[in-house]
Amino acid sequence: MPAWPTNNKYISQSTIRVDAVAKVTGRARYSSDIQAEGWLYGMILRSQWPAADISSVDLEPARKIPGIKAAVTVKEGSFTVRYYGEEIAAVAGTTKQACLDALRAIVVKASPHDQFVVKEEDARQPDSAPVWQGSPNASKPRVRETGNVDSAFPECAAVIEGFYSTPIQIHNPMETHGSTVSWNDEGVTSWASTQGISSVRDGLAGALSLDQSQVRVITDFMGGGFGAKFGAGVEGVLAARLSREAKAPVRLMLTRFDQALAVGNRPSSFQKIRIGALADGTLHAFEMENYGTAGIGAGGDSGGGGGGANIPAPYLYKVPNARVNQWSVAVNAGSSRAFRAPGNPPASFGMESAMDDLALKLGMDPLELRLKNDSNKIRQHEYRLGAKKIGWKEKYRPPGSSSGVVKTGIGCAAAAWPAGGGTRSTQGEAQISPDGSIEFRIGVQDIGTGTKTVIAVVAAELLGLKPSQITVRVGDTNYPAGPGSGGSTTCASVSPTVYDICSNALSQLQTLSGIPDARGDNWFAACKKLGVSPLTVHGQWQPGLSADHAGGVQFAEVAVDTETGLVTVLKVVGVHDCGLIIDRLTLESQINGGIIMGMGYALYEERVMDDLSGVMLNPNFETYKVPGISDVPEIEVVLVNMPERGVIGIGEPSTVPTAGAIANAVANAIGVRVTSLPITPAKVLAALGKVPPAMKS
Amino acid sequence: MKAFEYATALSPASARDLVADRGAYLAGGNDLLGRLKEYIESPEILVNIKSLPGLDQIERGQNFWTIGSLVTVARIEQDAEIRSAFPGLHDAAAEIASPQIRNVATVGGNLAQHSRCWYYRQRDVQCLKKNGDLCYARNSDNRYHSLFSGNDCISPVVSSLATAFAALDATAVVLRNGEEQRWSMAQLYADAWKMRLAHNSLQPGDLVLRVEIPANRPRSVYLQVSDKHTFDWALVSCAAAADYVDGKLVRPRVALGSISPVPHQVEAANDFLEGKALDDPTVATAADMILAGAHPLDHNAYKVPMAHVLIRRALLKLKG
Repeated sequence: MPAWPTNNKYISQSTIRVDAVAKVTGRARYSSDIQAEGWLYGMILRSQWPAADISSVDLEPARKIPGIKAAVTVKEGSFTVRYYGEEIAAVAGTTKQACLDALRAIVVKASPHDQFVVKEEDARQPDSAPVWQGSPNASKPRVRETGNVDSAFPECAAVIEGFYSTPIQIHNPMETHGSTVSWNDEGVTSWASTQGISSVRDGLAGALSLDQSQVRVITDFMGGGFGAKFGAGVEGVLAARLSREAKAPVRLMLTRFDQALAVGNRPSSFQKIRIGALADGTLHAFEMENYGTAGIGAGGDSGGGGGGANIPAPYLYKVPNARVNQWSVAVNAGSSRAFRAPGNPPASFGMESAMDDLALKLGMDPLELRLKNDSNKIRQHEYRLGAKKIGWKEKYRPPGSSSGVVKTGIGCAAAAWPAGGGTRSTQGEAQISPDGSIEFRIGVQDIGTGTKTVIAVVAAELLGLKPSQITVRVGDTNYPAGPGSGGSTTCASVSPTVYDICSNALSQLQTLSGIPDARGDNWFAACKKLGVSPLTVHGQWQPGLSADHAGGVQFAEVAVDTETGLVTVLKVVGVHDCGLIIDRLTLESQINGGIIMGMGYALYEERVMDDLSGVMLNPNFETYKVPGISDVPEIEVVLVNMPERGVIGIGEPSTVPTAGAIANAVANAIGVRVTSLPITPAKVLAALGKVPPAMKS
Repeated sequence: MKAFEYATALSPASARDLVADRGAYLAGGNDLLGRLKEYIESPEILVNIKSLPGLDQIERGQNFWTIGSLVTVARIEQDAEIRSAFPGLHDAAAEIASPQIRNVATVGGNLAQHSRCWYYRQRDVQCLKKNGDLCYARNSDNRYHSLFSGNDCISPVVSSLATAFAALDATAVVLRNGEEQRWSMAQLYADAWKMRLAHNSLQPGDLVLRVEIPANRPRSVYLQVSDKHTFDWALVSCAAAADYVDGKLVRPRVALGSISPVPHQVEAANDFLEGKALDDPTVATAADMILAGAHPLDHNAYKVPMAHVLIRRALLKLKG
């Protein structure tokens, strides 16, 4: 069985990203920077109605605009649009302004529906306007029960009931969705901002009726993806069709406005939870009714997992008697897609809030209640580590008991992430030249997490070289196929693959050069013996070097101004495990990012739909609020290195517990709970009973 | 945006002629370009006024200071003398947007900016302020809207500088039809109180030349609460200014932003505070007076307690 080496020089140490200089100097060309010869701008016309029947779309006036080279409709004939922002047509032209003018020139004959529904609570009503004609907006509940809930509740020493809700969160990667597509006689090339070059290739081939071998997808650098950037997307297929018509490459990158409406989001949740424990704190009975919306339906392009509204419950706790009843409602709004740990952040927020409420009722320290009920040994260890770092013993006080107008509090929550293991089909190759240079090629994409650096670190360690001596090429479907970057699987896919390539390289070099160990000091001598032709070595994912299931716990300390309602996060401690650490720097960066994103979920982010007009009110960063640097607290990342488990991914668990921990810290500070995210000043003041009733006009 | 002509004016008179009734003045452009890009407005000509002579000066006078309308928000924020003479103005400037925006945003543009109501700014919603027939905010999501209004539109004034200037009793000097007119902050926004289509009292062609600030309120304060810590609009802002002699308020003024189409000022409260010592009951009474008649809606009632505490804190902070 293969095994990772110990006493490492690079693995589990800190290596600066191999592309750091290119990124900070602007030399790195992201998908949105690609300027293919003769390229055109592409833009999409979207529905301005939440629901409408479209009888015709006339592109001719658009084609007459100077500079416009192509115009296409999304669908033929008459059709129905079901949300504000749904794609109707697209144009390509030589300037942005020409495209904007062309979009306005397109004549759409539409009969807007009188009725539509954009709010979850409205969609629950049996008489709500159906998003899909002939089927009710509320799905049939899925009920699952273990033990006997009805007889278990009366046996509990303490029972609490709460209603916890989470909003729709938008992915908002730094780089929006989109691509440049060139479609000529030789086939299609797409420079895509994607988490899955292979799935984009297959999606384009399918949509365009081409052989997969005729489609090449390239992703040199891409500016982030959180689960919604897998398939070709409507925008990718439109770019290809425009390119064919215009006979020129078309760059179609979405705007922030587009991005907010139509390429995915995290479903909302409305969780009614009843939970009870025995006198010693052992969880005994649990009941949850939850519903949420995934928009007009769980969306396509969900690659890394479900985009549906169901969430795991009672999350990571084992309760012998549990009944969970979940359903989803359709609304006239953009669909959900997989979003960084699908289902988990809302599940964690609801359950961890309920746990703190229950601890209060039991008269127990909430940390003790968790230690009592979370049987996972790694998390037990992590809770104890984190408690020391945040100073739980000294800082935890009964809710609302800190003095003064600005009150402080602390809270904690945990994550369990079942994925994170490797994709078994991952392959790769390395070309070793007689001068000792070595180039790795894997058809994976680095979505900003540091995949290229991981490959260089692992290769350098195993070959006895420096990471800077390793050339890494990824992001091209012409290379041996790698995994899609979803489910936190990339690191655990490529690391064992690189291990295999290196093993094969060393054994072949041994045979060819006669040098028994080609590593380190012998490397260049061994390579020289190759003569004139480079050696190409293949490799594939091997078992025994990776695992799945990463976890973690987080602690948050907050200050809440009880007169203005403003929450300031003072500190977050994140204690996380992911098996064998490959590169500490990129790992810490992942966890920092996860915590900041979780903080946005806790305090700021929310898609706001307007039930009068049916539009989204905040498709921008002005009123869809994301954390800025001055909102970000001190973050202390504590890593639990477990080489014996092999490599496990971390991208997702790091964002799971943040909102629950912050919400619990706020409740601990002010003595009452804000039960719905985001925790805005308005909601804090309302929870404190300081908001007067509205006046009727 | 729609195509437009572009011209650079070298004098206020030529700027006025160029803009006529079909154009817009362009200085920092932060607000204007957003309106153009969303097709909220489509002026036929943009007249660059950045080269108008003399409007980028800060002049320190015996009785009042003059700040030209082309002075950037960043300069207000960074000017040490302003910081010491008008700390409330400094703090208001420092809260505006981001450093990048402050670097190009001007005093005139900040005062003349239009509504940020998310219905008004939504490209596909025809609200009352865009000559539609419905105030969506009044009937739907009004979390960011006014507690007071003199018309059917409830979009609030969001100029942080206007709030600070109002407390300092500053005067805007406006060029109208070749004549310099002197307006209080109340006058600068009076039309927005009365008329749903108005964002302020400026008519097409009117040009803010400068702001004059009386130097007789050495103490001033500006506070705001936003959802985020920086780069976010105020949910409520409050400015207070006065002199404080022998433990008593002299010429006190309080103004609030984001709760009314105009900087919200209650002269009776200013009169009440005159000669008073600053203590908890006094500032609470003043806050009650200032917020009397507030009309909280379904989603903005939180602004009432928020405004109340900001008034109290701002006044108490005048003690130093």
